[in-house]
Amino acid sequence: MLIAILRRVGLSLIIICLVAVLVFLATEVLPGDALDVFLTSDDLMTMEAEDIEALRHEYGLDKPAVERFWQWFSGVVVGDFGVTFIDKTPVSDVIWDPLLNSLLLATVITLIAIPVALAIGILTGYYRGRKADSMVSSLAIIGYSIPDFVIGTLLIMFFAVWIPIFPALILVFADASVLELLKVSLMPAVTVIIGHVAHLSRLLRVGFIEAMNCEFVERARLSGIPEKRIVFRHALPASVIPSLNSMALFIGNLLSGLIVIEKVFGYPGLGLQLLEAVDKREVHVVQAVTFLGAVLVIGMNLLADLAIIILDPRVRSHKHE
Amino acid sequence: MYSEKKNFEKNQINQPASGITRRNFAIGAGAGFVSLSLSNLLFSSLSMAAQPKKGGKLVYAGSYLNSKHKSLKNAKHPYYGIEIRTRNTYNALTWVDEELNVVPEIATDWESNQGQDVWEVTIREDVKFHDGRPLTVEDVIASYNLHKDKKLGTSFVKKLVDKIEKVSTNKVRFFLKSPSSEFAWNLAEYRQAIMPAAPLDEMGFLGIGSGPYKFAKIDVGRRVIYEANEDYWGKGPYLDTLECVNLPGTNPLNGYLSGQFDVLAAVDPSLINQLSATPNTKIDIAKAGDQIMMVLPKYEGSPFMDKRVRQALTLALDREAIIRIVFGGKTGWASNDTHMAPFNEDFLAKEPRNIPKAKQLLAEAGFENGITLPTFYYAPYVPEITRVLSVAAESVKEAGITMKIEERPMAGYRKWRVENKEKTTKHRFAMGPVGPRNPAMNLFRMARPTYNESGYWHPSAEGDRYIELYEKAMRTGDPIARRNIYHDMQRILQNDVPAIFLTGRRETIAFRSNVHGLKAHSQHWSLRFNEVWKS
Repeated sequence: MLIAILRRVGLSLIIICLVAVLVFLATEVLPGDALDVFLTSDDLMTMEAEDIEALRHEYGLDKPAVERFWQWFSGVVVGDFGVTFIDKTPVSDVIWDPLLNSLLLATVITLIAIPVALAIGILTGYYRGRKADSMVSSLAIIGYSIPDFVIGTLLIMFFAVWIPIFPALILVFADASVLELLKVSLMPAVTVIIGHVAHLSRLLRVGFIEAMNCEFVERARLSGIPEKRIVFRHALPASVIPSLNSMALFIGNLLSGLIVIEKVFGYPGLGLQLLEAVDKREVHVVQAVTFLGAVLVIGMNLLADLAIIILDPRVRSHKHE
Repeated sequence: MYSEKKNFEKNQINQPASGITRRNFAIGAGAGFVSLSLSNLLFSSLSMAAQPKKGGKLVYAGSYLNSKHKSLKNAKHPYYGIEIRTRNTYNALTWVDEELNVVPEIATDWESNQGQDVWEVTIREDVKFHDGRPLTVEDVIASYNLHKDKKLGTSFVKKLVDKIEKVSTNKVRFFLKSPSSEFAWNLAEYRQAIMPAAPLDEMGFLGIGSGPYKFAKIDVGRRVIYEANEDYWGKGPYLDTLECVNLPGTNPLNGYLSGQFDVLAAVDPSLINQLSATPNTKIDIAKAGDQIMMVLPKYEGSPFMDKRVRQALTLALDREAIIRIVFGGKTGWASNDTHMAPFNEDFLAKEPRNIPKAKQLLAEAGFENGITLPTFYYAPYVPEITRVLSVAAESVKEAGITMKIEERPMAGYRKWRVENKEKTTKHRFAMGPVGPRNPAMNLFRMARPTYNESGYWHPSAEGDRYIELYEKAMRTGDPIARRNIYHDMQRILQNDVPAIFLTGRRETIAFRSNVHGLKAHSQHWSLRFNEVWKS
């Protein structure tokens, strides 16, 4: 098992390196650089071409792409994400507060979405074919089909503009306390939760129905084990296992999935920071954020694999073999 | 010594004749606006008569993010703050008012020598910085030493100011690198803040100015909160707290509709009708604002090398249709193929649209069956730009001109504009926004034959003549004589058409009806909040 995990970790590191290269190449394709964004039309009015080139040299923007990439990547290996081009601010300072904010939002979403999805999945699976199941299943399909930004916009219209009980835009400082952030995070969280609960509950429902139809459940029933015990001790663990990877991917992708929502609500998170960095051509910030996103996805996948090994005796015994 | 103060007074007197005072404008335009079903529009001037009330908080959403704003360490600096409306915290020597007149701020008056290259400026003696220190000539000198510093300074001053010296305890003398008859306007630029004297590389970072508000808290890239400066020397401030919110890419309209903002400081023209129908909302429209310019890329093989093609294009454009369709006839204005704003006394109207003449010019240039122009690339500087260019492209079809347009990202626009660093005259990018300033600064934008990055000018005999006239205007102290020169310069631009100026937006602000004393400003960066209050 240890070798398998080490192999996965090694593979993950290679993927992270590839992601870093790909992100760098993608940012190289974009027209312009940080200086292009920095200089205003008024600056250009009084500058000569040589002045601009001198500035480009001063900020290190004229260095070959490979050199710039290597300089950044060799720092990342030792935990240094580098500095921004124009004002030399450490990238870690730029992304720290937004990262914490996004993680907070992601945690809230996860803590609500997974239990709710579990409950809905089990209930609709247990009462399958009934009116409530049909209704919830239909709603789930609708919820799953509507993009997050549409849900977000509709929520803003209903609960911020027409019935102004929530703010349309999140006006808290990037370094706001957890409590301040939680107070205003309900609408963005609900926006993401609706789609993901719909998706996860559908998966769990199918898994639960399959588990309830298994031979071991029927034998348990024939043995006189109470229904409640059958559901929670036998069917539920078995039904969760097929959905574990989806749940892990859901959590892992939350950071990148939040970009749109952060933009719609103006939430001071990593997604908004990433968009701003792309706009300003701050390649090091873009790389750092993407790098962290990749690490999170890969890390969550690893955790899901470990969870499956722990929860599923078949996998465990297969690994032992 | 030639007294520029007299010019200032003359401008003040002449202004009503040239156009309209705010009050007259409000009264005169009122009937028209009512007929356009904008019944709930009230101009801020009408509420100005009420007694200002002190206290309260005002939140405004601004949409002009300072591209130099990067991090907290320099976010209070007048060059690098999120808010380019630096007058919240800083004062400059002069200010350009809503009628585009230069008026005193820290300076009380100014005068130049006959050659317009030495200027003496008298400063107020009752001004204190936010830290309680009195503002002195030494601070003015130190501030301008920063502004003119080759590495640390700001563009206009670096180019113009040679040195500055103390004349007396309330007077400084500027020595310019070249004459500038409109130097007083230059002193009003938003980065030319007066700060406490300090070593140049330390100045401005503490955010201490002499403006009506002091920095309280900054959220990099998003928000800045100011608190009232109780020792402000001028009128106001009346608000306890002023807050600027600038969420990049996020629509501030939702924030306004949900009650989070009191003011939308730059309104997309397409929202005017919706905002007009919003309860308790007032709208104020400035006389002008940024205009949309099309660079005509001139390189070997470009059809724009032929003046007749450029002339045909400008004659074929239906600017009135753009104003009608995109700006609803209310928030746009037609430009004259120069940077000049139409309500300026020095503005020279251009020849109206003329399709037969455009066709004739094209035929003379060898395009009797029409012409397909190179693609015009543009970046979405202002939300209405795609609509403006779409109507423009449609309108020139009548003259047989096919004008393709394509959007490009904001950040990369310069790369699209210039093919490479060796061939800076080979323009790719074809549009840029320009803000209205005084004639000297407006017309200077075209006076750059040596560096053609923006593509305003292709070196030519007309270009040389234009530069000559510009330099002559800068040596000419008499505003009437200068106006004649400016007219000659505009005639050159209108005849040679080095670039096309399509239309401009009129800066528009929307605010709640309990907000008073707020006036839209043609220069969005010059908007001031010191006389604003809430009832």
